[in-house]
Amino acid sequence: MQAFLNTVLVGLVTGSVYALASTGIVLTYKTSGILNFGYGALALFTTFVYWSLTITFHWPVWLAAALVVLIVAPAIGFLLDGTLFRKIQGQPIVIGVIATVGLTVLIQGIVILIWGGQTRGDVPSLFPRAPIRLPGGLHIGVDQAALFGLAVVLALGLSAMFRYARIGVAFRAVVDNRPVAGLMAINTRYVSGLAWAIATAFAAVTGILLTPRLLLDPVLLTPFIIAQVLGAAIVGYLRSLPLAWAGGLFLGVSQALLLKYAGSGSGIGDLRSAMPFLMITVLVLLAPKTLRVAGLGSSFIVKTREVTGHASPQTRAVIGAAFFGLLALGPAIARGSISWRLSLTVGMAYAIVFLSLVILTGYSGQVSLGHTAFMGIAAFTTGHLVADQHLNVWLALVFGALAAVPAGALIGIIAVRVHGLFLALMTLAFAFMAQDMFFKQPSVSGSNGGIPVPRPPGTASTNAFFYLVLAVLLVCCLIAINLRTGPTGRVLAALRDSEMASRSLGINVVKYKVVIFSISALIAGLGGVLASMVTEQATSLSFIPFLSLAYLTVTVVGGVFHVGGALAAGMLWGLYPKLFGHIDIMIRLENIFFGLGATLALARNPEGLFGEFRWIGAQLRSLRDREPRRVAAPLPVAGGQE
Amino acid sequence: MSELRAESVTVRFGGLTALSDVSIDVPSGGFVGLIGPNGAGKTTLFNVISGFILPWRGRITFDGQDVTRASASKRAAMRIGRTFQKLELFGRMTVLENMLVAAEAGAKRLGLMTDLLHLPGRHRAERRSAGIAEQVIADLNLGWARDRRTADLPVGSARIVELGRALCTNPALLLLDEPSSGLDSGETEGFGALLRRINEERGVGILLVEHDMDLVMDVCKKIHVLDFGRVIATGTTKEIAANAAVRAAYLGEEADEAPASPARR
Repeated sequence: MQAFLNTVLVGLVTGSVYALASTGIVLTYKTSGILNFGYGALALFTTFVYWSLTITFHWPVWLAAALVVLIVAPAIGFLLDGTLFRKIQGQPIVIGVIATVGLTVLIQGIVILIWGGQTRGDVPSLFPRAPIRLPGGLHIGVDQAALFGLAVVLALGLSAMFRYARIGVAFRAVVDNRPVAGLMAINTRYVSGLAWAIATAFAAVTGILLTPRLLLDPVLLTPFIIAQVLGAAIVGYLRSLPLAWAGGLFLGVSQALLLKYAGSGSGIGDLRSAMPFLMITVLVLLAPKTLRVAGLGSSFIVKTREVTGHASPQTRAVIGAAFFGLLALGPAIARGSISWRLSLTVGMAYAIVFLSLVILTGYSGQVSLGHTAFMGIAAFTTGHLVADQHLNVWLALVFGALAAVPAGALIGIIAVRVHGLFLALMTLAFAFMAQDMFFKQPSVSGSNGGIPVPRPPGTASTNAFFYLVLAVLLVCCLIAINLRTGPTGRVLAALRDSEMASRSLGINVVKYKVVIFSISALIAGLGGVLASMVTEQATSLSFIPFLSLAYLTVTVVGGVFHVGGALAAGMLWGLYPKLFGHIDIMIRLENIFFGLGATLALARNPEGLFGEFRWIGAQLRSLRDREPRRVAAPLPVAGGQE
Repeated sequence: MSELRAESVTVRFGGLTALSDVSIDVPSGGFVGLIGPNGAGKTTLFNVISGFILPWRGRITFDGQDVTRASASKRAAMRIGRTFQKLELFGRMTVLENMLVAAEAGAKRLGLMTDLLHLPGRHRAERRSAGIAEQVIADLNLGWARDRRTADLPVGSARIVELGRALCTNPALLLLDEPSSGLDSGETEGFGALLRRINEERGVGILLVEHDMDLVMDVCKKIHVLDFGRVIATGTTKEIAANAAVRAAYLGEEADEAPASPARR
């Protein structure tokens, strides 16, 4: 009993930090409608600043913490609000997802650039760790008690501010109705900037309080914080501070109990890490309809710059043939370098994955942050079919990719009920649960963290495998083009633009959502298997859920609306390390490059890199036709004319 | 025969009763108006009939069949078409593509494999739906806008495109929700003539929600009047024009309300 109570107590302490952390994300979601996936990355960055100040420059901990929480973090929040968040406010929800995901990638890149990739275990605690004995034989560290106290004080302070202070009233007014609040002489810019400043300060507090007991890891901390924060905040459906608090405490206690009594390796996978995602899954599925369909009817990405006209079908066919012809010559051109040929192969395999996102997001306006799950299911299935069933590798490849289809169909069915932001959360939860409960299991990924995925017979050589991937990529591209130009593609575009009108025409929404997620999962699965075959193994680290976010980001940089965008993204992804491999700084800038690319792309040109090609094409056409420029000026307002 | 009947329909949103015991009917090939002040429940009734809202009580029959619990797409397949008060065009698609989607939705299902692999069946199906789409575009004089994105069209043309899109599904009954809002008086007159032609030439039954009384009086043969979620009058245009209750509830206020009433975006 005593052990039980002590576990609950420890859980409450951790939970109070989660609760505190969720405050920041709920605050900005309420004031701006943007769910900040960059929250974990902001915590990471500010904690590293704190680490530098205390460890490198030997500042006293309290001074360092005060500087970071009261000055550095709010300044970052204010800056981000002005440069990014305010620009994407009121846009379709998915824009916010991609922009803040891009921000995560960007900040992680900056952190690794400045502080390197090492894990730091020496983050100084604000409080001593000496144990306190409590009545009833319970005990708790001073730092834990202080942490709990601090979390409670901050929470009470924030709610008091909301309730009584003038600025709190202004906040609530902006939350209720921004334009009217503006008319009431409330400076909405100031209020929204302040919300982001406070939220970033909370992110900093979270990092500084959590990392002395955890580790400061530039890669793992971000997803960890995001997971806990979303798990807590979902309890109030991202809108209620008290409920998010309850969620944080519940999460902390349940995880502590699971750690103590269920342990890991109990056959149900790592339930403790999966806990926040179980909460998201259950609560989103049970959510009231008004929340589930939020974002319904708003078409996916509003273009800010429209390139008029298309290249003629002939021109496009010629460009496509030239691209694939050049690719086919790749092995001959790079005869001397195996690594170049491998990089090209990797690029093509990922182009297939990105193509699955083009079909899903660009064509159909659906969003998935869980494509690593499809890739992993396919790759591990293929590996096991070969290793355990001694199946022919060709057949295993096909069955592996097909194994991702039921998972895709399941998400498709969920997508009928759940839209926009909550669908994005569900798919992310799905990827995390697949990772924690299956991919990490020794029975799935082998006892030493990886299983072999051999290349099909006859394609063992680098060149033969290169041409296999090229052929699959070509077929997938043709299918994607057929899909877009045919009746099914029109239905998908119709669903993207207006689900209500589609239903009024007799379109079966359930069927098409299942179809599109299944096709996308199948193609992602193919890409996943082929990508694993490059290194000839699939490991539990190959399909880290956060990579899903990176894939979506890179696809947006390449151009999420077109097949050519997926090809561009694949080439970027595969060749970046080769192109800039000899320049150390550029390797370290990779994340920054993609993160910045995605956020800029959304702010300026949602069609990405491929959009730039189209723009150049339009320029050439107008030169040829000797007409004035036919490129429309940027529209000042999102949404076009009404 | 494709008669529509709504019987004793009651709809509640929380504590608010949006529709209370409403019964209306549209005879096969009939032209019926549905009028009433803003907030009377006209659009709610449309949503019940087309399957977007489940009524709390009451039933809807079409063509003799009970469709009260049928899905919206099922009802569309039974040839109930509709337009929306707030335009719901596929904005990033061209006028032709909008029509094609509708024509294909009404056609026999095309196999997915046929589509993805571009087998011969796809070509045949596409030619058929293209025929329907081009015919409607020609009928509605939309040739000039055929390849334009619908988001770029002026409201007046967009309303006609939405009407045409509904026609491409070959409906037996059309529900039109304030089709003239956003149109100037000249356009409205032309629109009225167009509706009458659709009704007479194609034999399509029409249920028209409209604020423009001239248009309603001009084209409708029968009118239902809604106020505060109840039917307060039913009759021919003449009877309605003479009905005191209607005048008090609606027409009488029309003159005062006119400048403010354009609940038109």
